[in-house]
Amino acid sequence: MSDTATAQDRAEDDGGLKRSITGRLLFFYVLGDVLGSGIYVLIGSVAGEVGGAFWAAFAVGVTVAGFTGLAYAELATKYPQAAGASLYVNKAFGKKPLTFLTTVLYLSATFAAAGSLAAGFSQYVAEVWDAPPALLVMIAFIILLAVLNFIGITESVVANMVMTFVEVTGLVIVMIIGIIYVGQGKADFSVLTDFSTDDNIIFAIVAGVALSFFAMTGFENVANVAEETVDPHKNFPIALIGGMATAGVIYVLVSMAAALTVPVGTLADSDAALLEVVKAGILPLSVSVMTLVFAIIAMVAITNTTLVQVVTQSRILYGMAREDVVPGAFAKIHSSRRSPYVALVFSAVVVIGLVVVGDVLGRLGLNIDIVSRLASVTVALLLVVYAGVIVSCFKLRGSDESDQTFRAPSALLVVGLIGNIVLLGYVIATDPTSLIWCAGLVGLGGLLYVAEKLFGSEGTGAQAPDLDDPGTDPGTDTGTDTGAETDKGA
Amino acid sequence: MHVIVATDGSRQSLAAAKQLKAFADPAKITEISVVAVVRPLASVAFADDLSEKQGSWATGSFREAAQSALDTIAAVYDGWGPKVNKRIRSGSAANEIIKAAEQYDAGLVVVAAGGRGIGGSVLVGSTAQRVQHYAPCPVLVVRPKPKPKR
Repeated sequence: MSDTATAQDRAEDDGGLKRSITGRLLFFYVLGDVLGSGIYVLIGSVAGEVGGAFWAAFAVGVTVAGFTGLAYAELATKYPQAAGASLYVNKAFGKKPLTFLTTVLYLSATFAAAGSLAAGFSQYVAEVWDAPPALLVMIAFIILLAVLNFIGITESVVANMVMTFVEVTGLVIVMIIGIIYVGQGKADFSVLTDFSTDDNIIFAIVAGVALSFFAMTGFENVANVAEETVDPHKNFPIALIGGMATAGVIYVLVSMAAALTVPVGTLADSDAALLEVVKAGILPLSVSVMTLVFAIIAMVAITNTTLVQVVTQSRILYGMAREDVVPGAFAKIHSSRRSPYVALVFSAVVVIGLVVVGDVLGRLGLNIDIVSRLASVTVALLLVVYAGVIVSCFKLRGSDESDQTFRAPSALLVVGLIGNIVLLGYVIATDPTSLIWCAGLVGLGGLLYVAEKLFGSEGTGAQAPDLDDPGTDPGTDTGTDTGAETDKGA
Repeated sequence: MHVIVATDGSRQSLAAAKQLKAFADPAKITEISVVAVVRPLASVAFADDLSEKQGSWATGSFREAAQSALDTIAAVYDGWGPKVNKRIRSGSAANEIIKAAEQYDAGLVVVAAGGRGIGGSVLVGSTAQRVQHYAPCPVLVVRPKPKPKR
């Protein structure tokens, strides 16, 4: 450690611009986030709605979502920051209320999504362990995820990859079962063109897409890691399109496998429909073991996606608090874990509130299925956000462009926009009560804004520290006192 | 000797930076690299408690937050002597600090020891702990002062 022994490998130095999310990691982030939300949870109700041809609903849904993903890819290459939809709408329109509305819609969607996923998780738990009441499992799951996020498990890139591999494995098991079944010559392919309704086929597909669209969401959270992505102009389009296309192929094949091996009626009536495929006993393995393994895989898949939702929630709340849009408490960071603990606790409370309300309404005889109820709320909210992002993408054409910008094909964006609007119209027309839930969640965002305007003071979020005398700052601990003490020592 | 001063944007990390300046001989330090690590998948990728500059919810740039924390820490050494570099890295905090120490052939790493009390001691896997265990050079862990009795 002599004075002259300075760093030798300065040539290797990256000039402080090192980024850690490679194209491959980004791909798995997209794939894991999309796959976990929905197919494990919703496939039964989609099958019931459409009939044996429900794979078509998944194919159409993933196409609409994929075209929306193109707009995200274009905008993320232009503005590679974490705020996603809020940032794009802000850049396009520069209207604060519109940006706020977009942020709150997106935040509300993540709350509803986490609630739906928690309910789906409890259904898989019920398959392997019938002791605890579902509501208790949901609440425990939500609290556990908040704790995992606080500790920082979500930071692990390896954990993210492993969970995504597990998710894909679960779906591959379903596909293998389908292939074996077809190989045994038992499959009746006519079921794949069978629609349960006598009405218009297009109508049945739209209904199925609206129902299954929750399974296509999640890709919008990719903006979370935009800033840390290596070569975003190259990796974003590949990872988003590749991830959505892979998810689409998996969905279609899994739907076909499920439709071929299990009667559609059984799928529709099941709480954990993909388990029915495993229970069909086609694999030469003990059904009870396979059921357990598959239930665990499904729980991992749901956990992976929910973790990302929780990260998104706390980031949005943190960001808004830093800007004095919501109370400054949401910007509080735990001194050693560096986690926004107030935002995490608040998010958990909101999501628990959602599942409790769903549960209570169910007990009052309103016959609410929490999974699909909150899924359709999520879809309604996200469709508005998606449409806004595509419009922003068009509005921002011509500005901030360079040869590093990915340009999405306009025709596909138009198709995506129309798809989003049609689906939104369908969801609202057939399920107006979802609007009440949406209004409740968005109203909560409004309440936070009002609370900040009434009781908040300027700069609470940023805490405007006095760095020369940090010990006198109330509200934070005295951890920096060492600085003052060393001055004496020097 | 090349010294690495790590910051996670916390006040403790500023105290740690000042601690180094309080006892070390600037003539023996050739270079100081202030390192901030952005954690892409964490719920808040980088939180800067040191600057008055407010983040923007409509941008969500954690790199900007890391940069402003680096500026604040680097300012501690203004006019002290050694050349000061500011570096943003990306990934897991402890891993990146250790990698930086190897890459720059550091003679000392300065870190803050996270929080005081239950949060800092019971929960395993804190950054300072991992850096102590795996760094290729001596590590200065600056602990927060005990709570003043009132």
